[in-house]
Amino acid sequence: MKTWMRFAAVGGLSMSLLLAGCGREEAGTAEGPGESIADGPAEGDITVWAMGAEGENLSVMADAFMRDNPDANVKVTPIPWDGAHDKIANAIAAGETPDVALIGTTWMGEFARTGGLDPTPADLIDETSFFDGAWDTTVVDGVSYGVPWYVETRLLYVNKDVARAAGVDKPAENWEELADSVRAFQEEGGAEWGISLQPGGTGAWQTVMPLVWQNGGDAYDGDQFTFDSPQVVEAFDYYRAFFSEGMSPTDLPEGSLEPDFIADKIGAFVSGPWHMGVLADQDAADKYELWHMPNRQAATSFIGGGDLAVFKDSKNRDGAWKFVQYLSQPEVQVEWYAAAAALPAVEAAWEDPVLAQDPYLAAFGEQLTDAKSPPTIATWEQVAAELDSGLEELAKTDADSTEIAGVIQEQATSIGAGD
Amino acid sequence: MTTPSTVTGQTRQTSQRARRARAGWGFTSPFTALFLVFMAGPVLASLLMSFTDIGSADIRNPLGVNFVGFEQYGKLLEDARFLKAAGNTALFVVLGVPLTMLAGLLAALGLNSGLTKFRGLFRVGYYLPVVTSIVAISVVWRFLLQPETGLVNSVLGLLGIDGPHWLADTSLALPSLIAMATWRNLGFLMVIFLAGLQAIPQNLYEAARIDGAGWWQQFRYVTLPMLRPTMLFVAVISTIGYLQFFEEPFVMTQGGPLNSTVSISYHIYDQFGFGNYGYASAMSYVLFLGIVALSLLWFRLLSSRDDR
Repeated sequence: MKTWMRFAAVGGLSMSLLLAGCGREEAGTAEGPGESIADGPAEGDITVWAMGAEGENLSVMADAFMRDNPDANVKVTPIPWDGAHDKIANAIAAGETPDVALIGTTWMGEFARTGGLDPTPADLIDETSFFDGAWDTTVVDGVSYGVPWYVETRLLYVNKDVARAAGVDKPAENWEELADSVRAFQEEGGAEWGISLQPGGTGAWQTVMPLVWQNGGDAYDGDQFTFDSPQVVEAFDYYRAFFSEGMSPTDLPEGSLEPDFIADKIGAFVSGPWHMGVLADQDAADKYELWHMPNRQAATSFIGGGDLAVFKDSKNRDGAWKFVQYLSQPEVQVEWYAAAAALPAVEAAWEDPVLAQDPYLAAFGEQLTDAKSPPTIATWEQVAAELDSGLEELAKTDADSTEIAGVIQEQATSIGAGD
Repeated sequence: MTTPSTVTGQTRQTSQRARRARAGWGFTSPFTALFLVFMAGPVLASLLMSFTDIGSADIRNPLGVNFVGFEQYGKLLEDARFLKAAGNTALFVVLGVPLTMLAGLLAALGLNSGLTKFRGLFRVGYYLPVVTSIVAISVVWRFLLQPETGLVNSVLGLLGIDGPHWLADTSLALPSLIAMATWRNLGFLMVIFLAGLQAIPQNLYEAARIDGAGWWQQFRYVTLPMLRPTMLFVAVISTIGYLQFFEEPFVMTQGGPLNSTVSISYHIYDQFGFGNYGYASAMSYVLFLGIVALSLLWFRLLSSRDDR
C-alpha cells in the first residue's frame, strides 16, 4: 500500500511536470535559405552516412575530395537501407547527427519538418544545373534542404522477341497505343501476359503516379489532396483495365518476373535502371528495348534517388556543405557513375560520352527531363501506403475506380499533410 | 517508562533491519536501476505518449506536444485497417491456439506412450523449429508455398491436385500462416505437456484400470484433469505469443493480399514507421489490455476449482 502510494506520487509528479512543459508552439514562420558558407578549402572532420552501394563506394569520392582539401578528413559510415530511416530519425531526436547524410527523396518532407536539416545556402549551388524533378525533391515549403545526388527514373522494358512476333515495330506514343501494343504482345506475340504492372502493394504508387501526371493530375495541390479529381480517376481506370482485361498478372510469384520475361512469357514491365544490370547478369542484355513513357497530356515518369543533406547539429557546417558541393560537380558525378553506377542528378554530366553513347542510358537520360517526384509533404510515406492498398483493391477486386479514389482521398485528408 | 535495556534492544533490532534492507537494496540495485531506466521509464513514457499527438516532427522537442486525452484511442475505432488487423489477430488466436495445443498434446501423448524407440529423435525433430529463427522459417515456408515451384504444390501435383497460390489468395493466406505457426510452436508445447504427463502418478492409472476404465476413460478422467495446470500455462503462453504475431506476415506477405494477413503488431509497427508515435502507443496499450483480458479469461476457465 505504502509503496503504491509512493509510486503514484512519483508518477503524478512527473506527469504534472511533463504537463507543465507541454503544448505545441504555433508553427513558426517558414525558414529562408541558409546562410552562406566561408570560402577556401574544407577543414576538419566531416562524417557522412550513406546507404547501400552508395555507402560502400563513397569512400572513393571522399579520398579524391581529401586530396583537394588536405586539411579535411571525411569519414564515411555505410548503413543499410533497411534501418536507415529510423537511424536518421533517432539521430535527429538525440541531436547526435552526422554532418552529411544520404536521404531518400521521399523522406525529405518528413525530416525537413523535424527542423533537423540545414537549409541549403543560397549561393552555394546552381539549382538549374539539376533535373527539375530532382531539385523539387529537396524543396519543402519553398525552401531547399539538400542537394540531389543521384537519380533514377522508370521506363518500359519491352521484350524485343515478343514485340517482333506481335508485329509491333515502334514504341507506343500514347495511352491508346500502349494498350494496343500490350494486347498485341499477348494475343499475337505469344506472351502469357502482355505486361507486368505491380498489382498494388508497397511501392505500387510509383507505377501509378506517373499515369496520373501523364493525365494532367496530381496527388496534392499545395493545399489539399486531389485523389478524387477526374484526372486521377481516369488514370486509375487505365491502370485497372490492364488487370481486368487479363493483360497483367495479379499474383506473379516473387522472383519470377525476370525468368518469365526472358522466357517470352511477359511482354513488358516498368522498372528503373537497376534492371539493366539484373537482365545483363542473366545474359539478357539484348533481350529488350526501352520505351519512353506514353504521352497523354505529358509523358512524365517517376523520379527517385537520393539527396544529400546537412544537419543543423553538424559540428562542421562549412566543411559539410563543401563536400556536398564537390559531389554535385558534373565531372565528379560522372566519376561517381563509374564507381557506383548511380545516375547523375546534374544534367551536364549526361553529356559525357560514358553516358551519352550508351543507348539504354541515353533513354533514361531523356526520360529524366520529364520526370516528377511526389509532393514533399511530411506524411507522404503514410499517404502512399493508403494509395498502395487502394491500388491493390483496384487491381485485384472489381471495385469501382471512383469509389477507390474517394476512399483514398478521404484517408489522405484525415492523415493530412503534416503541418 | 521503558527500561534502558529494552530501548537498546529495539534500536539494535531496527538498525539490524535497516542494514538488512540496505543490503537487499544493494543487491537488487543493478537490476532495479536497469529496470527503471530501460523498462519502467519507456513504459511510462509510451503511456503518456498515447495521450498526446506526438509525431515524427516533434522528435527534436518531444515535450512540445499537445495533450489530446483519449482522442488517439477513439481514432482506433474509425481505422479500417486496425479493425481488419484486430479481426485477423483474433482469428489467428482463436484458430491457432487450440490447434497448436491439440497438436502439441497429441505429439506429447504419442511420445509418452507409444513411440519409445525413437523418442529422442522425435523430440529433437518436433523441437527443432522452436529454436530456429522465425525469420528463417518464414523465408523457407515462403518458398514451400510458392505456387509453381513450391514443395507443397509439387506434392499436391503428384496427387493430381492443382494447388492454389497460397499466400496470394485472400482466403488462404491467413490459414497458411496459422498452419505454419502451429507447426513451429507445437514442439515447445509438446515439451511442456510431456513434463506434465510424466508428473502424473502411475498409481492413478492403475486404480483407474482396476475400476475397469478403458483408454479413453483414463484419458478423460485422469490425464486431462491432472494436466489442468499445464494446460493453463500453455494456453496463457501461446495466447500471449499469438496475439503479438508479426514476423510471419512481415516476412511472408507484408500484410497482403488486401490486408488479409495484417496483424495488430504489424499495424503498430507501420504506424511507428510513419512517425505517428502517439497513435501507435495507444494501439500498443489496446493490444496489452487484450493480452491481459485473454490471460484472465484462461485463468478463469482453467485454474483448478480450489484456486479460484
